[in-house]
Amino acid sequence: MIITLAFASLVRHRARTALAILGVAVSSAMLLDMVMLSSGMRESFRGLLLSQGFQLRIAPKGTLPFDTEATIRDADSLVALIRARPGVQAVSPVLGGQLHFPLGSGAVTAAALGVEPAVQGDYELVAGRNPTSANEIVANDALLRALGRTVGDTVRAAAGYDAQLRALSGERVLRVVGRVRFIYLALEQRAAALPIGTLRAMSGPELESRASVAMVRLRSGVDVERERAELERLLPRVTVISTTKALEQVDERLSYFRQLAVILGAVSLVVGFLLVTTLVTVSVNERIGEIAVMRAIGVRRWRIVAQIVLEAAAIMLVAAPLGLALGLVTARYLNSILARFPGLPERIDFFLFQPSAAWTALGLLAACGVLAGVYPSWRGASLPIATTMRQEAVG
Amino acid sequence: MIFRTILLLLVVALHASSAQEGATRVIALRGRPQGSPRSIAIDSRLAADAALRVGDRVVIAAAPGEPGDTVVVAGVVQRRADPAEIARGEYRIRLHLGQLQALLGYGDRVDRFAVGTRSPAATTDAVARINATAFGFRAHRSADVAVETSKTFAVVSRFHRAIGVITIVASAIFLLCIMLLKVDERRRDVAALRLMGISAPTIVRSVVLEASAIAVLGSLVGVGVGLTASWIVNRHYQGVYRTPLRFSLVTGDIVLLAVALSLVLGIAAGWVAAMRLVRTPPLALFGR
Repeated sequence: MIITLAFASLVRHRARTALAILGVAVSSAMLLDMVMLSSGMRESFRGLLLSQGFQLRIAPKGTLPFDTEATIRDADSLVALIRARPGVQAVSPVLGGQLHFPLGSGAVTAAALGVEPAVQGDYELVAGRNPTSANEIVANDALLRALGRTVGDTVRAAAGYDAQLRALSGERVLRVVGRVRFIYLALEQRAAALPIGTLRAMSGPELESRASVAMVRLRSGVDVERERAELERLLPRVTVISTTKALEQVDERLSYFRQLAVILGAVSLVVGFLLVTTLVTVSVNERIGEIAVMRAIGVRRWRIVAQIVLEAAAIMLVAAPLGLALGLVTARYLNSILARFPGLPERIDFFLFQPSAAWTALGLLAACGVLAGVYPSWRGASLPIATTMRQEAVG
Repeated sequence: MIFRTILLLLVVALHASSAQEGATRVIALRGRPQGSPRSIAIDSRLAADAALRVGDRVVIAAAPGEPGDTVVVAGVVQRRADPAEIARGEYRIRLHLGQLQALLGYGDRVDRFAVGTRSPAATTDAVARINATAFGFRAHRSADVAVETSKTFAVVSRFHRAIGVITIVASAIFLLCIMLLKVDERRRDVAALRLMGISAPTIVRSVVLEASAIAVLGSLVGVGVGLTASWIVNRHYQGVYRTPLRFSLVTGDIVLLAVALSLVLGIAAGWVAAMRLVRTPPLALFGR
């Protein structure tokens, strides 16, 4: 009976109910988007960091990987020392730099990563193979397009310019052996990877035995945080960053988006709550006579409360799937806007759908629906029966 | 002359001048008489965190453990309100170009020059001539550089606009719903007025007038709430990011847009609700 009465009450004012459902749907769409924004970015970044199985990053003291142009001195001995540790499975040193490819009267400039191809975790091979000898290079689509080259071609590349001699410095002819997708770089960023020794040799004595960052993959079962602390103690010249620490840094830098998500999510929830509360309160006011009659014929108070709460929860729950669907569409649109951040890795999503996000949004909406019905239902069920009936009869 | 700002990694070994002056090793810099350290300017964030004041002596080095130079803090500077820097927590110091080049072993090199020109035509000419003759570097117009560096903020701006549109849609539905309820609540009054002979257009006008009054009052309250929220947002984020940057601006245009939007929506919602009401027979409004 409760369900029938609640349903009848809702369909009595179709336009009003439809508008309320629409309003709550928009609010819940916004709520879902904000729940996705608050956690998605972090999870997306976490997935990116762990995608190649490296749990630790080693950067020059006080810096984040590739956040500055600082490099680690004596990187080879440092890498050897880390590799000798029993808990370490692999270490991938990376040197960041630039390569200039003469083309016509100008040159194409690209980001260059010096890596050890056998253990690298910076790119995924799309076609071809990894470099196996010193004068081999792999490049991404953006660079190959700019150069008009493909796998198997050779390119001239230099690590710098000597302005006094008006000549390229560290020039070499390299063979393109692979087409790759860089994991931590933006899709449109021109980039290439080559053996770290080659990039060092091309860059000159300044970068001899240097690395910008080293990524460490630990054996399974090794306590990541303990290993991080131990490495940091052993290597005072560097900062050792675990995924947890990196995520803390990301949280700090992108706190704006998280706070925006919390504020807008809360506002959406409040708007939905107010809308349903107002609607149900007006609906109860309109039929206090009906409620009084129900009480007079023996319907218990809790049944009245349950019916009104059910009305509120029904609006929320009918609107929720609509809102969640709308939320997914708007999240995709908003994500496409934020994906245009310059330099943002292709795989980073600000709005990442996770079932937990949908459940959180749904749970909040259901709780709000129940709460929205509490005040009007309490008011309706508490009315003095005789007085209310008399007032309704007299008008 | 103070040139570039160096970012990040200059490790500052701090020595409070009064307490530890004896412990600092004063190193003569190139071309400077011994015992006369060069001066630097530090940003207020570093000054606050390291308890540094003008006149203090500090040792700066290019990397931890490397021998550095002792310098005197000659000034504390407030960072510009640059949105590009807000998420970066690094300290900054400003020092003489030659000193920085020596410290970093950078040789006679700079990262960039700024060139002043006399007119836009001179700028075009200078860019063309530099790029035609220069080797190893390129000249860019400041306007082009500004466009490139502000791409991040253009993205954020687009994101805010999209969020704003969603908010407006939600507000419009909310407003329409509330107006509908409000007018619906008065159906008996309207029925009585109709039975007394008051015409439908008069009732519609009165309802629309009431809706307009509510919209105006709501807008004024909204402007107040907006100004307060803006003040709180600015205070909060200026504290979090330690910057004089204003994160939220309530401009005349924004107020005008918000008030106009709420008026239009309020009047439209009132009109829709009133039309629904006057089309219903008065006795039906009475529930008969």
